[in-house]
Amino acid sequence: MPDWMVWTGPTAAVFVGLGLLLCGMAIWARISPPVSRRGFLRIETDRGDRLYIGLISAAAVLAGWIAVTDLSMWLALAVAFLVVLAIGMWG
Amino acid sequence: MTATLPSRRTEPAAEDRAQGKRRANRAWFLVLPVVVSVAFTAVIPLMTVVNYSVQDIFSPDDRLFVGLEWFRSVARDPEVRAAFVRTLLFSAQVLLLEIPLGVAVAVVMPRRGLGVPAALVLVALPLLIPWNVVGTIWQIFARPDIGLGGWAVNNVLGLDYNYTLDAGDAWITVLVMDVWHWTPLVALLAYAGLRSIPDPYFQAAQIDGASAWATFRHIQLPRLRGVLTIAILLRFMDSFMIYTEPFVVTGGGPGNATSFLSVLLSKIAVGQFDLGPAGAFSLLYFLAVQIVCYVFFTVLTRTGR
Repeated sequence: MPDWMVWTGPTAAVFVGLGLLLCGMAIWARISPPVSRRGFLRIETDRGDRLYIGLISAAAVLAGWIAVTDLSMWLALAVAFLVVLAIGMWG
Repeated sequence: MTATLPSRRTEPAAEDRAQGKRRANRAWFLVLPVVVSVAFTAVIPLMTVVNYSVQDIFSPDDRLFVGLEWFRSVARDPEVRAAFVRTLLFSAQVLLLEIPLGVAVAVVMPRRGLGVPAALVLVALPLLIPWNVVGTIWQIFARPDIGLGGWAVNNVLGLDYNYTLDAGDAWITVLVMDVWHWTPLVALLAYAGLRSIPDPYFQAAQIDGASAWATFRHIQLPRLRGVLTIAILLRFMDSFMIYTEPFVVTGGGPGNATSFLSVLLSKIAVGQFDLGPAGAFSLLYFLAVQIVCYVFFTVLTRTGR
């Protein structure tokens, strides 16, 4: 990786994680193709849509958290994870 | 014997399908140039911005990991929050003005004859002018001393108007400039949408004795959903990122009345060269754009399904 990209361990881990997540989703789609359904979001989504909505919502939770409260960001991460899980399972 | 016959019959079909699948898979290579160019122009720069946002960078060799500190300071900065509200307000006003106005222009544009090319060229003219030139035109046009527009507002309408001194005047100038520059885009998109409606729809409406309003409300508007989705998304994103025009006309002033998010961001990133805060700012900005666009897109494409 070029020097000017100024990588750090944590950001590299995030991007590797994202890459693995996408590969995992692709393999999962290969094994059992996603099925669209309607959940509490009240729009038709398949699991890829719900992952995207979940990740964006998680990012919004983290951004909102850091903007308004001094509580630990680990707590925010836990909430964000629950949001992703809830949207993925029942969204 | 009877069992083997059907399977033998289906074999060529299955082979065809497999071959078709292979061929379809090979088509993915056609997407490769896009993937490579997007990686170079979007993904790698975005990764770099993410890396900036968690460090205090003096040079590539001299940098300090600061965690989420920049996100905290940017998200709590009153100046950033004010600019965010200002930009959101501006985008809302842009959409409220440009979308109805664009549709109205499209509805009254001629549908046949010599008027069509003339109207198209006239309407498209503002779109052909580069952003900074639009800014320069309006900067001079709206000046109360030497600009025709500014002079007319002051001396013909009798209003006290000066966009370099009054915050409200500056806001209105930037807004009117954006409406002038970009309503044609909405109008052209809507016009294309209207032209694609088959004539029998209008004939049926005529037979039913539908009024012009009923025809518009129940035939034209529903058929415009697709193009209006694109128009709303384009106009939202563009107005939410507006930079050049206010930068040229008002420079973000007077005070910071027209310093939108992008004006503030470029001040931090390019003016002060604070890469860390600018990185965090960009990512929060990006997140806001993502969320609003996704909501718009979902609402406009999935309602009624």
